[in-house]
Amino acid sequence: MSADVISRPRSPALPAGTRGRPRRDRGRVLRLYLPLGLYLVFTLVPFYWMLVFALRPAGSTTPVPWPITFDHFATVWNDLGYAVFFRNSVVVGLWSLFVTTVLAVMGGYALSRYRFRGRTLFMVVLLCTQFIPGAMMLIPLFTIFKTLHLINSLGSLIVADTVFNLPLSIILMSGFVTAVPFSVEEAAMVDGCTRLRAFLAVVLPQLRPGLIAVGSFAFIHTWNNFLFALMFVSRQDSFTIPVGLSYTIGEYSADFGALAAGGVVAALPVVCVFAVVQRYLVHGISAGAVKG
Amino acid sequence: MATMRRRAVPYLLISPTVALIAAFLVYPIGSVAYYSLQHRNLTRPWADGFAGLDNFRQMLFEDELFWQSLGFTAKWVIVEIALQLLLGLALALIVNESFIGRGLARSLVFSPWAVSGVLTTGIWILLYTPGTGVLRFLGRPETAVLGNPGTVFSAVVITELWRGVPFFAILLLAGLQGIPGELYEAAAVDGASRLRRFHHVTLPHLRDAIVLATLLRSVWEFNNVDLLYTLTGGGPAQVTTTLPLYVAQRAVDSKDFGYGSALTMAGFVILLFCSLLYLRISRFGGER
Amino acid sequence: MKMRMAGAALAALALAAAGCGSGSGSEESGKTTITFWDNNGGTRTPIYQELIKRFEKANPSIHVEYVGVPIASVQQKYDTAIAGGDTPDVGGVTTSYLANLVGQQALEPADDWLGKSAVNGKLATPMLDSVRKTVPDGKLYVVPNTSNMDVIWYLKDKLKEPPKSWDEFFTDADSLTKAPDEYGYTIRGGAGSIFQILAEMYSYSGLTEFFDSTGKSTVNDPKNVEFLTRMAGLYKKDTPEADVTNDFPKMVAQFGTGKIAMMHHNLGSYNDHVEAHGADKIGAFALPPGPTGKHTVVANPVDGFAVFKSSEHKDAAWKFVEFLVSQESNSFWNSKTGQIPANTDAQNDSWVSGLPHLKTAVETLNDPATAVVSPPYYLPQFSSITKADTEPLFQKVLLGQMKPQEFLDTLAQKLTDAQAEWKKAHGG
Repeated sequence: MSADVISRPRSPALPAGTRGRPRRDRGRVLRLYLPLGLYLVFTLVPFYWMLVFALRPAGSTTPVPWPITFDHFATVWNDLGYAVFFRNSVVVGLWSLFVTTVLAVMGGYALSRYRFRGRTLFMVVLLCTQFIPGAMMLIPLFTIFKTLHLINSLGSLIVADTVFNLPLSIILMSGFVTAVPFSVEEAAMVDGCTRLRAFLAVVLPQLRPGLIAVGSFAFIHTWNNFLFALMFVSRQDSFTIPVGLSYTIGEYSADFGALAAGGVVAALPVVCVFAVVQRYLVHGISAGAVKG
Repeated sequence: MATMRRRAVPYLLISPTVALIAAFLVYPIGSVAYYSLQHRNLTRPWADGFAGLDNFRQMLFEDELFWQSLGFTAKWVIVEIALQLLLGLALALIVNESFIGRGLARSLVFSPWAVSGVLTTGIWILLYTPGTGVLRFLGRPETAVLGNPGTVFSAVVITELWRGVPFFAILLLAGLQGIPGELYEAAAVDGASRLRRFHHVTLPHLRDAIVLATLLRSVWEFNNVDLLYTLTGGGPAQVTTTLPLYVAQRAVDSKDFGYGSALTMAGFVILLFCSLLYLRISRFGGER
Repeated sequence: MKMRMAGAALAALALAAAGCGSGSGSEESGKTTITFWDNNGGTRTPIYQELIKRFEKANPSIHVEYVGVPIASVQQKYDTAIAGGDTPDVGGVTTSYLANLVGQQALEPADDWLGKSAVNGKLATPMLDSVRKTVPDGKLYVVPNTSNMDVIWYLKDKLKEPPKSWDEFFTDADSLTKAPDEYGYTIRGGAGSIFQILAEMYSYSGLTEFFDSTGKSTVNDPKNVEFLTRMAGLYKKDTPEADVTNDFPKMVAQFGTGKIAMMHHNLGSYNDHVEAHGADKIGAFALPPGPTGKHTVVANPVDGFAVFKSSEHKDAAWKFVEFLVSQESNSFWNSKTGQIPANTDAQNDSWVSGLPHLKTAVETLNDPATAVVSPPYYLPQFSSITKADTEPLFQKVLLGQMKPQEFLDTLAQKLTDAQAEWKKAHGG
């Protein structure tokens, strides 16, 4: 990427005429629309491929899905039972998202604001938990969940996914908390708030972009998790979408149409939700609060 | 009294996390360490038993693939993270600007993130397979991207890039929101050029986020094998085999759990060392 | 903040839903519930669901809970379940990992049950023998349901008549190739490559034993080397370059485009080919004979049902198994998948001769001149030797980085060593 691409974010409160340059200049096209356009093509080609495979009959090689068929979607929804998988994925994802985010804010705040004894150790331990692939810990984890009677319930997935998402979430969250200057809280506390109230009223709003980022990572990791979803659960009505997707490709059958259709079903809602949520990835209300 | 309560606060805040980790991760990680010192192979149960450092000796001195996979893993992680960081940062900066259709652009840019591993590999297999792929339309119908040892690395790098850039983009975009606008105004008033503003305002504020993101993502790329496993199976002829992929093949496919655990512990030590070193070097948490 | 409240509301709903998801299948008003794990979940799910419906109708006191396990992960799933103590009552098991499960002492032998069952004497003897040979104590741990056979699928509008010998095959592959658009054949170079090349080699060389009388592997016999050299020579000449990483999905994706004339797989992929090309355009022939002129078939794993030792409802479990392998069910199952039924009555059903590829397969198998070679599935290491250990080496052969002789020598040595070790561990 050339240096042309690098630009600085424009502050929303910038008074007009500060730089006296017309808004629609060629430079803007070059450093904004062109790279963005190129990247969008790169991003969307696989999605287009997915749509094409989902909508055209098996064996066809036309670049455009004509004639269109919805058979693959029918296969996926009825024969393979996607409705149930979808519901389970949502349940597990939301729960994991909720718990992870709450604990991450707590832990992130502690890591960022306090210099307590054991802080470095805590952070190293968090890192260490990410160093071993889940597949190697499958059997001990299974035993633990069995002892807790969680095997075969969505609870095992919620707990497992939360435990594996937490370290990353806490560490990231602590970074976001650090970015909010302590002076903001201090000012609120001087005004008579307890630390908790100061946090809730002043810091939390500014953490919104961070919450969105961390929350979406936790959700997506859980949404896409395959190994635990298959190994800790042995009930057809408790499997999640990744398990359903893996049904389509195997030794005796490779139904790319069904895979693609299943993929569309799996990805579309998430993309839509994100389209809504990304609106909040904007400048916080911060700027004015500390001045004066 | 108030001081004691105040001092207890951080511990209270981290206690649920510590409890979860203690309950669910200590035993499993411990058991991996335990098995690394054992011979445990489901296909040769007659040879099971205490191994001491035998697995490690075999790994370090007799296993060519261990070193080869280690080298490839380093190459894989470094190339991926560098590219993902650069592209992610560029994208975050672009979609941070206001323009018409920004919301749509953002959603589209971040969408690969929503796609599960099985699906990503499935679609990219189709894209790369000569008969069904995209290269036919670019005038190169013959190229067997995944089958050719010369092109397979680029192919897998691109696929992982497609999937990994949104991580950095989202994170850095969130980080950019925390930079107060006045800093840019002040710099602009001082006559700083666009590049200087980036260098002196944006980058320093993002430094911690970048350090964390690269570290965490590097560990993830190191350990995550689903893409390589399905796209190339570590091939052709093992040229795209990372250490964790090798572990998966030994421990899961060949059921040699003892040796697989030893390989895992090796990975653990390496990651720990590199992480600590990285944090040290980047002076993480230091004054801006 | 509105977003957060919405999120909380959703979470509350989720909590309610999650509460319904947990809890194990239990007895309800005198009904016994047994769990059945399908080892190829997905495509076969509708078939089992139909069979289960019929079974429950005939046996109202038994409820069967179906769980579909994706075939690519089924070994890992079973290993985890056994180690964790959470196995099903009945599970689909093939002889390729039977030795492993028996080694972990997870399965209940079927001999006693079979002796008293209505299907006694109705199951194909070669399949029963195959299952018994896989375990050291010779007991029947899997009740056979189906078996497969390797065939070469071909497109009828490209190949007018199946080759009658390997020599003819090589000629056909060459004449059908118009690189870079069309190819005569595609080699499976990725996951699963070794079994296919073994099947091809032995069908050419005509050898009938995997180990000679001294326990040495016959894999590197000169005739096998000769074949491998010829086949490897096809790579990039009459086959696409992409073949070297071909696992099944990639291979069938390529074949599905209609640009490749022949593909080696087995009866199981019939439905995929029909969907991609149409039933009248696709045909199959058994692996051709080599210079000996006789067909030699390498036995595919036998797929069937096993009852787990830890099952608490063994009677109900056996009843279900009996139902599945009885003529009507066995016929139904195999007619939908296009494979060879284990029930001898089902083998004579009309649909068998109605499916041309199956007819060819059954005829070849039943021909007294055909020799059947049994791979050493009883060796627990067979799976790992023919996968992780040697698949990369086969790729090297295709890429020209390793000579066929060297590759086969390596494979032979591994097999010989494994065989010797196994013999020693089981009292020679």
